[in-house]
Amino acid sequence: MTILVPTKATGATAKTAEMTYVEPAQQVTDDELAAALPDAGLDMAFVADFLSAALTHERCGRHLYRSVAARTNNPVLKRRYEELGQETERHAEILEDLIAGMGGNPSYVSPAARGVEGADTKLVESTSLLGGSLDVTTREMVMLQAVFLAESLDHAHWQTIAELADHLPDGDLKDRWARAVGEVGPEEDEHLEWARETMGKMVMLQAASGTMAAVGAKAEELVETVRGWFS
Amino acid sequence: MAFNPLEQRGIPVEEQFRSWSELSVEPLDKLGDPYTRCRVILMNGIEVESILFAHQFARATDDLDIRRALALGRRIDQQQRAVVNNLNPGDQSPLETTIGYEQVAVDLTAWLARNEPDPALKQALDFALLEDFDHLYRYANLYELIDGRDAAELTDSLTEIMPGRPTVVEHRHPYDDVRPHYDTHTVDPLSRLHVMTIVAAEQQTMNYYLNHSAELVEPVARDLYVEISHIEEQHVTHYESLIDPLDSWFEQLVFHKYDEVYLYWSMLQQEADPRLKRIWELHLEMEIGQLHVACDLLRRYQGVEPEEILPPELPEVPLTFETNKEYVRSVLAEQVDLRADGTGYRPLDELPDDHRYFAFQGIVNEGGTPSEAVVDEIRVVDGRDFRDEVEGPHPVAGLRA
Repeated sequence: MTILVPTKATGATAKTAEMTYVEPAQQVTDDELAAALPDAGLDMAFVADFLSAALTHERCGRHLYRSVAARTNNPVLKRRYEELGQETERHAEILEDLIAGMGGNPSYVSPAARGVEGADTKLVESTSLLGGSLDVTTREMVMLQAVFLAESLDHAHWQTIAELADHLPDGDLKDRWARAVGEVGPEEDEHLEWARETMGKMVMLQAASGTMAAVGAKAEELVETVRGWFS
Repeated sequence: MAFNPLEQRGIPVEEQFRSWSELSVEPLDKLGDPYTRCRVILMNGIEVESILFAHQFARATDDLDIRRALALGRRIDQQQRAVVNNLNPGDQSPLETTIGYEQVAVDLTAWLARNEPDPALKQALDFALLEDFDHLYRYANLYELIDGRDAAELTDSLTEIMPGRPTVVEHRHPYDDVRPHYDTHTVDPLSRLHVMTIVAAEQQTMNYYLNHSAELVEPVARDLYVEISHIEEQHVTHYESLIDPLDSWFEQLVFHKYDEVYLYWSMLQQEADPRLKRIWELHLEMEIGQLHVACDLLRRYQGVEPEEILPPELPEVPLTFETNKEYVRSVLAEQVDLRADGTGYRPLDELPDDHRYFAFQGIVNEGGTPSEAVVDEIRVVDGRDFRDEVEGPHPVAGLRA
């Protein structure tokens, strides 16, 4: 089962930093990280940190999709968010397997991963905490924008994973990376393109509709209107 | 037996409001079980933290549903707090309550340290333990000085009263109160509960002392409260800096509620007074209901299942108020000369002469120090200071009577 939040119980490890203390049994060092991974002619401690960040982003993406799927008023978006969420969880699983298959720990949370998680946490919070000052249609747009932003970084991560794979020496490790990129890459292209296109459609729908732009439209009417989008 | 609050129904929040008559509780006997008083003091502080956190959270959102959920939970917390705090008897003076606060500080901190799995967090607890232990001694001397009473009547000698790390040397530059935080992913669930609990307890103590200092008449008492309230501020800074800021608002809310569940469950396990037991049990059921609300918010707005961030069950051992005399003595013997240095600690004789600690000491202690004055005064009056050394002479030769 995919781990969406590494904890001590799942075997989480981390590096200490100036202001981050880690219990000794859960601590890991760059040397240990590098030693756990095969020598691929790269700074493998850095690679471990990067993969942890990419995996964390997939995990946070799964949380984002769950949240927006639960809150959207549009059945088409809801269905799509659920589908993309499941695919995102699958991507997290692939990354976990990739890391574990190299001898790494999928529950290692790197400093880079903390940075990504911090941004992702605020991203998903941005879709709800200011909800009171947004109308129903704007809330839908904010949720979709969050998806677009998340997918943008996700896409960039997998492009980078593909580039790293090119640098690996021929062999089993390179093949595993190539298979992962081959499976996930096209889906990431699709996710990002869908989010970009749907944002455009949503803008055009509202821009072209007098009813949508009407100041003072009742919330119930807006919900009904949102429900009918894309149908 | 394993207890997973997520598997319990609790009382739904809509059914938790009580009438004024239900909130009107009969106070405790001030000379009753000291650890019942400790439980009351602790849980009051826990409810205060819960309320203050929910206020802070509410200020970070304008979402109507989230604000309403927070408002509902806060009002219920306020009712719970009213019941708990009003268990304190009216014939218990602020100074007597203060001695209760310090007994909490000593026996809570010592118990947490004894049960803390993470050595760095244990060190943080041990460090501040010796400071709170000294506060108990200073207030006990004040109690004898202005009321002519024996503080051991309140503590029942369950907690020794003697000098700790002397309060006069506890004042340090604020930079030296800030510690590294645990990592939210690797932290032991028990450690998280320990830190949240001690932050709430110290915060309540800090506020209590400065709120009540102005009600006292004797200058030495007013000044002592002011001085020690500043150490409590240091302790709040010290402990709150241990918390990982990575957690989202919704995760923090769930952790607050989970801690409250753990603590009411703990209080229930050890309470002997049947009337109090019923209160702890009721509040446990209420907190489980509130935890479910927090978990629903976490699911809806963060997309996180509570089981992903919470342990499968409460810790096996309830947080327990019990005597810690031997432990406190051992920490005293080993660490009385420890000082904070940056984000860590160092023995006093290893601090360089130009360390900011000495400059800060010079500023605040210039013109005398209330915590020394109170002991000096009682020595003049009685020819000795007040102590309740049950287990023999002080473990530190330089601090013996």
